[in-house]
Amino acid sequence: MSGVVATLGWDEVGGYVVVAWVAGVGAIGGYAASVVRKGRRLSRQVPPESRRWM
Amino acid sequence: MTDLPTPTHPAPVDSTGSRGSRILGAIAAGLVAATCFYAFVVTGPDSQLGETVRILYLHVPSVITAYLLVAIAAGASAFHLWKRNEFSDLLAASATEIGMVFLGVTLVTGMLWGRPTWGVYWVWDARLTTTALLFLMLVGYAVVRSLPAEPRSRATRSAVLSLVSLALVPVVSRSVEWWNSLHQGQTVLGTSDAKLDGAQLFGLFLGMVSGPVIAAWLLMHRFRVAWLAERAEELGLDAAIAARRLEAGGDAAGATS
Amino acid sequence: MSALREVLAAAALVAGKDLRIEARSRVATNHVLPFVAVVVMLFAFALDTEATTLRRAAGGLFWVTVVFAAVLVVQRGAQLEQQDGAGEALRLSGLRPAGVFLGKGAALFVELMVVEVVLAVAMVVLYDLRLGGVVLLVVTAVVATAAIAAAGAIYGPLVAGLSGRETVLPLLLLPVLAPVLLAASRAFEVALGRGVGSGWPWVGMLGMLCGIYVVLGALTSGPLLDET
Repeated sequence: MSGVVATLGWDEVGGYVVVAWVAGVGAIGGYAASVVRKGRRLSRQVPPESRRWM
Repeated sequence: MTDLPTPTHPAPVDSTGSRGSRILGAIAAGLVAATCFYAFVVTGPDSQLGETVRILYLHVPSVITAYLLVAIAAGASAFHLWKRNEFSDLLAASATEIGMVFLGVTLVTGMLWGRPTWGVYWVWDARLTTTALLFLMLVGYAVVRSLPAEPRSRATRSAVLSLVSLALVPVVSRSVEWWNSLHQGQTVLGTSDAKLDGAQLFGLFLGMVSGPVIAAWLLMHRFRVAWLAERAEELGLDAAIAARRLEAGGDAAGATS
Repeated sequence: MSALREVLAAAALVAGKDLRIEARSRVATNHVLPFVAVVVMLFAFALDTEATTLRRAAGGLFWVTVVFAAVLVVQRGAQLEQQDGAGEALRLSGLRPAGVFLGKGAALFVELMVVEVVLAVAMVVLYDLRLGGVVLLVVTAVVATAAIAAAGAIYGPLVAGLSGRETVLPLLLLPVLAPVLLAASRAFEVALGRGVGSGWPWVGMLGMLCGIYVVLGALTSGPLLDET
């Protein structure tokens, strides 16, 4: 079965691995950034008394 | 866990962060770092899957996290239909949105894993098909939430949508599974066929802990954003009503509006 | 027992109202039927005028067309609720919400069955279909249509009154109808002599789907009626 591993070595599939991780981390990180940014913007619009979550 | 600024505090906190969320965020960051370390440094290529196994350290945690979030959303939706409070509505909406993000990551990483291992980006097996349909249902939910509507009405519609969508997931899965079983010669393509060694298992375990922790952190922030959005909306409404009253008071003696 | 009677009475009332409106306005007949005929022709343009391709795909094409027609019919139903405060009247009428849901579903069922009969005739003629397994075809059609109608009776009210509902409804309804599409197409393929195995298990699945949609609809009808 070593033939399988040879065809799935870094040279062949490394690209896929990198793209997958970049896309995944990028998507989640980007989303997190947009949520935090929105939170900052809204926090400024709402007076402190109403900011009590829950 | 409330973080009300005290009167002696020099300036109000201008973000949705709090001590709790910062601690959670730090833990999440640590876990992610550990997972990446295991995924790329500690573990070697798999005996059957080769280097593609490294994608699984991201793919499997993201699908687990997505399902967890969808379950939270469904629970919150059910609770909302029972108690009709704002908290459950906003929790459901936040969980669904974050779940959608994670499910999207699942689909993309899954496709990128499938191409080198199976040779194709996509197969119409039960798991993938159900995941894709669930993703579309979550998109539908997000779209319905984005349409202008009264908060109460929007909350009810969303809650119903969430529960109906979730109820159909096992149904879709079963029907596609059955469909495929009718085609003899359809090879069963599974990721669980691979035997994982100790380091790999631990890396996967780290991932599966990271995912929900990240999701919890996101949920805190996203919920607070939703909460603030509602408050801002109310303030906007109050301001508009006040302005209208001012106009009406001015026009009282004058012509009809 | 009287609760059940009230539900059925409400269903009969609402179904009658919707069908009477349809009989007068003839939207299903004048708008949806021509649409369906056009779609049947479009498939020929898109796929192959060679009868064999169309015949092979006929089972699936039939149900894809029905599902698209269903979106139109449900859309129409939702629209009616918005006109002249009809929805408001329904809410204030004190009718059992589950009955309202069943009534809407029943009306959708009838309208869709009419569409399907015409569609079937069009396909037999245009695609040179040889009909076999008529019992399987009819039973499949009845159960699948009931499932589609029940789903439509949930999602129609869900989007009623929302701006942008025309474009949102397909996005919501179609993924939900995917399993119905799958099962009904497979059953039709078997009936038309092209499928693998028996068609009746697929009918069983359709029955289960129909049951699930009806139960979900009945459970959610109360909250939806109150809020929309």
